[in-house]
Amino acid sequence: MTHELQLLWAALGVYVLAGTLAVTAAVLGRRPERSVLALIVLGLALHGLSLGLRWVRVGHGPFLTMFEILASNVWSLLLVFAVAYWRIRVLRPSAAVVMPILFLMMGWLLMTHPGEGHLPPTYDTTWLYIHVGFGKIFLGAVLVAVGLAGVILLRWGGLAPRAFTALPGDVQLEELAYRFLALALVFETLMLVSGAIWAQDAWGRYWAWDPLETWAFVTWLTLVFAIHLRITLKPKPVLGASLVLAVFGLAFLTFFGVPFLSTAPHQGAV
Amino acid sequence: MSRAAVSADSVPLCAASPLRRWVGARALHLLASLRLTLVALLLLVAAVVYTVVMPGRITWVLALPLGMLAFNLGAAVATHPAFRRHTALLAFHLALIALVLLVGAGRLTYLKGQLELSQGEWFDGELTQAEAGPWHPWRLHQVRFVNDGFRIDYAPGVRRGPTANAVRWIDAQGRQGGGSIGDHHPLVLAGYRFYTTFNKGFAPVFVWHDARGGVPVRGTIHLPAWPLHEYRQALDWTPPGSDLRVWTMLQIDEPLLDAQRAFQFRVPERHRLVVRVGEERRELAPGERWTLPQGTLVYERLTTWMGYAVFYDWTMPWLLAAAGVAVASLALHFWKKYAARSWMEAGT
Repeated sequence: MTHELQLLWAALGVYVLAGTLAVTAAVLGRRPERSVLALIVLGLALHGLSLGLRWVRVGHGPFLTMFEILASNVWSLLLVFAVAYWRIRVLRPSAAVVMPILFLMMGWLLMTHPGEGHLPPTYDTTWLYIHVGFGKIFLGAVLVAVGLAGVILLRWGGLAPRAFTALPGDVQLEELAYRFLALALVFETLMLVSGAIWAQDAWGRYWAWDPLETWAFVTWLTLVFAIHLRITLKPKPVLGASLVLAVFGLAFLTFFGVPFLSTAPHQGAV
Repeated sequence: MSRAAVSADSVPLCAASPLRRWVGARALHLLASLRLTLVALLLLVAAVVYTVVMPGRITWVLALPLGMLAFNLGAAVATHPAFRRHTALLAFHLALIALVLLVGAGRLTYLKGQLELSQGEWFDGELTQAEAGPWHPWRLHQVRFVNDGFRIDYAPGVRRGPTANAVRWIDAQGRQGGGSIGDHHPLVLAGYRFYTTFNKGFAPVFVWHDARGGVPVRGTIHLPAWPLHEYRQALDWTPPGSDLRVWTMLQIDEPLLDAQRAFQFRVPERHRLVVRVGEERRELAPGERWTLPQGTLVYERLTTWMGYAVFYDWTMPWLLAAAGVAVASLALHFWKKYAARSWMEAGT
């Protein structure tokens, strides 16, 4: 366990370095993008090793305790963001928005007890991996959209005026953000469908309105609402960006807030 | 005359038809409005949040916005030219309509219930708890299966491992079968899906000889779930055809559960059954009897019981198919839409 935690601390340190560099560069109007990407990749490697060691030791994936959920989501969110960062050069300055959001999760992770949980028989299924995997891609896509939405809102608010001058206009950024929201919608739908298949096998019902199911459905509806509203009313980029933040807020509360309301991520985990 | 009358009647009708057609088209256009979609989506969000606060009335609270969305979607599909241009978008929305209709049909015909069976007991169609849609076909009497016992291993810390429950069954066509069911492996008979649950425990087997004569009755009582209620292994019950109140408690005289070690669910070899009727109390070992004024109670042996959840919803494969079509067509629509135009061209 010591090595796992040491690797995790090292990874978090590297992430903080990458985030600080991204924010500082944005404020100063510089673009040390390769260094930021290299640091994120290094952090992901250390973090991945930490998660892997824990997986081998406890015999199951990081699905149970809040520590595991936070640790695995910080990793998967950064992985999705790193892929987007690598492939779509133009969104790289949005790291200055995304990394501070992840800092909050990292701080929360550090305050969480790294104790182990017991994998109930109802969790011993391939559908759990499929369901969780889709969920992680969904949240990662929303996070990338949030980075772009954050840039739009920061520019609108007149904050860090030099930071994002090299980026395209708000209309283009909003378009890109909504493309990531569309990707998020596909993966959240897949997450809900695979979750229903798992629930049917595990607990004999495909839907039971447990807190996590209910709020995941509310998040799906909000996502659909945001996409529909943009098509129907064609709002200004600032409103579109605000809706992206609303979707992320709801998704974040669903993923990390609902476990505070119910003792297990889903009912029946006994 | 008759022809003239028909002709006279038909004149105003012919004149009204374009107006009616216009009104109909206008109503359909309003019903198909994307603004109405936004309102219906907000209403659905509100309804879902309401069900969090008032969990008992889920179906009816959701029916209104879902119905509104279904009509809105149907009208939009019929009138919006975008759906004719984008087949994948059309397929996605038709799949959504199918999902809403299937969920509605499922709610009318579903069944959700609970039952408990002692080891060796056949399911006779009776449920201890059930909720069903008004049009459920009630074919449970066609279903026959017997609980042949189960195996559950526990890891240290009383952590339950997988359940392996041996069952034999006779299906609706009279064919016999057997196998093991458990977590993720339900028994499916006549559309009913039987799942083992974490609810299981000990079941003393009694034979009751009524003092007034008649055929002796053999039966079991299901003590509270074990190990969940390890220290509450007692139950009040009444022998058949009597008004006796019998309090029964299982006294286990060997270490059956060590929270620090791995163990297996098993019937204790050394145990006693503490039985109390009124002020009198007896401790019965297997095979012992207690003669009371109303009859004789024979404690035969100790066995186990398993709790099952039963679920029926014929729409499930169709729901999965509709969800599959929905997500595939949604992905295809977005792919085609975004591949056709770079995001950098937005606003130009």
